[in-house]
Amino acid sequence: MELTYLLLAISMLFALIATYLAIIEKNLVKAVIFSALQSISFTLALYLLKAPDIVLVYLPITVGVYPAAILFLIRKTEEVEEL
Amino acid sequence: MRKDIIVAVCLAIVIVVVSYIVTLGGGLGPLFNDVRPLATIYLSTALNTYNITFTAMSPEAVTAIVWDYRGLDTLFETAVFYLAIIGSVAVYRGIDEKLRASEGFGLSKIVKVVTKLLIPMNIAIAASIALHGHLTPGGGFQAGAAMAVIPILLIVVFSRYFLLDIRLSKGLALALRSIGLVGIALTVFIPVVIGLIRGLNAYIMQNQAKINAPVSLPAFIGDSLISGSLILYNVSEFLAVSFGFAILFILLSIEEGLVKDQMRGEDVEH
Repeated sequence: MELTYLLLAISMLFALIATYLAIIEKNLVKAVIFSALQSISFTLALYLLKAPDIVLVYLPITVGVYPAAILFLIRKTEEVEEL
Repeated sequence: MRKDIIVAVCLAIVIVVVSYIVTLGGGLGPLFNDVRPLATIYLSTALNTYNITFTAMSPEAVTAIVWDYRGLDTLFETAVFYLAIIGSVAVYRGIDEKLRASEGFGLSKIVKVVTKLLIPMNIAIAASIALHGHLTPGGGFQAGAAMAVIPILLIVVFSRYFLLDIRLSKGLALALRSIGLVGIALTVFIPVVIGLIRGLNAYIMQNQAKINAPVSLPAFIGDSLISGSLILYNVSEFLAVSFGFAILFILLSIEEGLVKDQMRGEDVEH
């Protein structure tokens, strides 16, 4: 039980770091990769929270489909965010 | 840089405090120890061969809820997804995806070989998630999402012309997706048709017999549990979702120059 809480805390902290890096990153391709890392740690958290149905849909959508769609959009527009 | 550290520390404190309150502090009730009353109802009725009043004949409570207890909700979710794909097809109307702007090279040979090994495994996983969706965690949408990764991999690793070479065009994907949607629509009306033929009361999307509607779809084939309509919904949704995403990525991967030329109506070199 304690190990579950510990892993949950570690994965959520990792997700927080990845989210923060995705937000401040100016290169959008790198930002998408950080976002996918955040999704992987969310997947671990969902598995620990005993939601395998959500894991099965969350993993391919947020690590496969969503970064691919965003990367196609970045390719059609601009790679670096300008303020 | 110092501002970044302050922001990061503040966020870390917030997440630690919130997660302490939610889990060990008991702010939202026990997360792991107890089964809540609502969950008890579904767990005791999802697969119950003794009391068949409310059963869905599926050991997978999530699939039982998604396609039986709140089936209409999922039906309209599928309709939303259908409209989103139709919208993207409408945006790309009149664009010929079979035109080639250049030769597709794709990534290196190592990546191609690894992808070739991965794709049969991916298909097997997606098929097992769909066909076992009423027994183990998973279901139609999950399997469709797992399958949707394959066209993305093929487009990125082999280039989009590879999809044209194996004849997975937008038309074929639309047709397979339509087969899935028609399968869902037919499964919705199967109990009503059976009821009309046998002169019994039946509801749309009914799976197992209810008190005043004694029509039920077969829960077993031989000794295998197929949970009546749930397996039909799962397989149809699998087709609809996987090929819906395939259409999306076939359209997104068309070169921007080709799309713009065709939208202007200029002659494109074949």
